[in-house]
Amino acid sequence: MSVATATYLVRRAAQKERVRILYRRALKDTLNWAVHRHLFYEDADLLRARFETNKHVEDPDTIDRMIADGEVQYNKWRHPDPYIVPWAPGGSKFTRNPAPPEGIEIVYNYGREDND
Amino acid sequence: MALRAAVLRHVRVAVQTRGLESNPWFPSGSIRLMSSHDDHLTKEEVADRVLSVIKSFPKVDPSRVTPEVHFQKDLGLDSLDNVEIVMALEEEFKLEIPDKEADKIDSCNLAIEYIHNHPTVQLI
Repeated sequence: MSVATATYLVRRAAQKERVRILYRRALKDTLNWAVHRHLFYEDADLLRARFETNKHVEDPDTIDRMIADGEVQYNKWRHPDPYIVPWAPGGSKFTRNPAPPEGIEIVYNYGREDND
Repeated sequence: MALRAAVLRHVRVAVQTRGLESNPWFPSGSIRLMSSHDDHLTKEEVADRVLSVIKSFPKVDPSRVTPEVHFQKDLGLDSLDNVEIVMALEEEFKLEIPDKEADKIDSCNLAIEYIHNHPTVQLI
């Protein structure tokens, strides 16, 4: 099973990417749940330890199963009101003040008429 | 009341034109940014902030950090550490990087490029 064929390597690379994306989402979720930084650091360490214990597994099928388990757990623990950066899609300031088109500006003449 | 008016009519206070209009750090009102997408950092500021974030990472040796460093090859970090660094950069610049893009950020160069070309990078 550990023959270094192209398909095996491609499959492992895809799995590694899934693991990275899962870790990223889990970390953001941890920050959503544990708002205070000192709590977040402890929870992030625990999460990292959970990922580290399975680091050495080589068999692609086992890894697939573990990633599926991880994603199920992540979906179970997703925060109902996550923090989204305001300028990002889904945030509160998204497309609130889009950049005005070129050539348009405000003339500050404080109400002075042209014939004054 | 009349004395006050008379005094005020004769007192002249020199009006200093404040040279702060051209300073982007203190917009004094004549430059009003109408949208959150107008503010733009220069590349050196972005690079400085990115390097300071990476240097304050606990698993990184600060003396080996240069603008061309690769996270996994040069600094000997893990792929999960890579994810953590990208999250720290997101928090520093108040960005929201999509998952696919965040996966590709592997080195300092890429990080600085991406942040510089992002439309909503904030000054604070």
